[in-house]
Amino acid sequence: MFKYLLAKNEDIPHGASAVYWGFSAIVWFVIGTGLGSFNAAKLAFPDFVTGYEFLAFGHMRQVHVHAVIFGWISMAFGMAMMYITPALGNTRLWSEKLGLWNAFLWNIGLSLGLVVLWAGMTSGREYSDFPWFIDLYIITFMVVPLGVNVWMTIINRRTQGIYTTNWFFGAATFMLAIVFTVGNLPEFFHLTGLTEAYLTWWFAHNVLGLWITPVAAAIAYYTIPKVTGNPLYSHRIGHLHFWSVVVFYSTPAAHHLMSAPLPEWLKSFASVEGVLILVPAIAFVSNILLTMQGKWNMFVENIEVRFTVTGCLMAIPLNMQGGFQQTRAINWYIHGTGWIVAHAHLALLGFSTFLEAAAVYLGLQSMMRRKLYSLTLANIHFWLLLIGFTTYWVSMTIAGLIQGAGKIYEVPYIDVVIAEHPYMIARWIGGTLVFVGNCFWLYNMWMTARAGTEVPQGRMPHELAYER
Amino acid sequence: MGWSFKDPLATLSDDETTEKNKKLWERELLGGLTEDNNPVPVPVVWLVLLTVITAFLVTFPLWGQRPTAELFLPYVQAMQNPEVMNAKNDDEAMKAIEKIVSQDPNANHALLERHPVSMDDLRMIGPQIEALKAHNEHLGDYTVVGPNVVIANFEGNYRPDGSRIRQQPWWDKGYTIDLFYLSYFFLAVFLMIKRLPPTTWQPRHGHVED
Repeated sequence: MFKYLLAKNEDIPHGASAVYWGFSAIVWFVIGTGLGSFNAAKLAFPDFVTGYEFLAFGHMRQVHVHAVIFGWISMAFGMAMMYITPALGNTRLWSEKLGLWNAFLWNIGLSLGLVVLWAGMTSGREYSDFPWFIDLYIITFMVVPLGVNVWMTIINRRTQGIYTTNWFFGAATFMLAIVFTVGNLPEFFHLTGLTEAYLTWWFAHNVLGLWITPVAAAIAYYTIPKVTGNPLYSHRIGHLHFWSVVVFYSTPAAHHLMSAPLPEWLKSFASVEGVLILVPAIAFVSNILLTMQGKWNMFVENIEVRFTVTGCLMAIPLNMQGGFQQTRAINWYIHGTGWIVAHAHLALLGFSTFLEAAAVYLGLQSMMRRKLYSLTLANIHFWLLLIGFTTYWVSMTIAGLIQGAGKIYEVPYIDVVIAEHPYMIARWIGGTLVFVGNCFWLYNMWMTARAGTEVPQGRMPHELAYER
Repeated sequence: MGWSFKDPLATLSDDETTEKNKKLWERELLGGLTEDNNPVPVPVVWLVLLTVITAFLVTFPLWGQRPTAELFLPYVQAMQNPEVMNAKNDDEAMKAIEKIVSQDPNANHALLERHPVSMDDLRMIGPQIEALKAHNEHLGDYTVVGPNVVIANFEGNYRPDGSRIRQQPWWDKGYTIDLFYLSYFFLAVFLMIKRLPPTTWQPRHGHVED
């Protein structure tokens, strides 16, 4: 892959950058979930690996979160954009070379950022923990080049219309640049106090709402019609989904700070918008499930459809939780507890990961023109991911409710710690299952590249029978 | 790109634009993908409307608020009633207080039911509430936290007398901004989807007219 970095753009094979992004994403997923499993072990067994500052939970948690968000999720998005955007415009990627350099610089920047976090250099702001010089690098060498490549590909398309997925890709790459720049202003200009807190959660809210959620959904809009062969059920529901994300998700995010001394009217405004995230969720889930009409057998038979529909179904509990947990009536109870950790994993490890995994499975096979090496390994990956995630989510939700009760009824902290100990062990088991599943996946995709059956021109990988 | 307002619920495009859109829709394969022209299903429309209504109802700051000194004033005043003072024990005294307050049309019975207190509670908060009343304080600005009556942790507008309102209103400008957002959202989406050909027409994908 590295040999193409210095090649001429026209000499780089179509899809090379997508393959680079895709494999990078899987490697980061293995690293990120491995770190997560390590961190969970520290919470389940407090004497596990002590005495090293850089392996302390406070250092490791940030490294895990950023490896997963910027490594796995964002690089899987990059992969999807590198092959879906040109495909939907009946054209080639605007610049394969830019795509390759973008992925290369993404890996370099993220590695650097994680080392810096590991060393204890951090902004101390959750989700935007990177110090200012890493933030500037991310904007300049990671976010903007990705947006340029996506936008230029859409502009140079050979179709008159733009398919729903590309609305989301174009808007999300544009919005990410704004969210990342504005959200890190406290870092650039040393803003402190309430302004810092507010911008921190404005960033955290929008990086989920204007980047992760819409791009994950956009991928499903491609995967399901592409693999099932059905037309997308409704172009109109696509409009309802897209515009409700733009309008309702981009709002102040003050509902993340319901207990902070922000103006109450701002909280009221944000809280209503917070419930209204159910509108895009309803639109998305209904559109995808209705597109599946007549093809539900593929939910069982096809690995990409199974991942996508499972992720789509997870959008229901995700948005029911997200919509209501931020209201004044509920937030006072669950704020600052493991419930929120469970919810964050439902969004990132549940909903979006399942949709992205489908895109990476489909994209790598399509771009390498190789049939998946082993369906059995893919099935093992799916079930380890699903069982591991569910174990994690349920145990952390229960632990969160215990913590909430302990907080409200002023139960001594150590009693709460003892009460939630079994759930911390369950969390570690769940996270470890996910990590093991991802190791299988990396092996499976590596073997697909090396020994997968070649897919003839004009055919799709899922049209061929599995050999193993 | 002509507009037509003949049948706005079907389409807002004139016949020429609709025909052009139909041809493009049928001819164009976006990377092999196609889209249908189905309407937003009626249950989805109802769910969206239900979500909007719920969003307001569930976020009004009517739930989870601490009780105010004003809420318990009828209880405190009833403590001076001879029937209460002559009660044999606290249980009888509390029953007498509840009976007296139940006939008070100004008491907030629904909230009192949700914040039950005992005679011991009233003995602790009663003198504090009476002291505030003697100083003509706005009792609604004080919340009852366990045995203490304290100034509420909310800063609203100033009254003409210079004091500050410390009661969360059920409606504030945040909700007004929400209405503005919702209005332009629904208007924009309506305009967007009604510019498409009417839903009575479905594309024949891949169909190319000569």
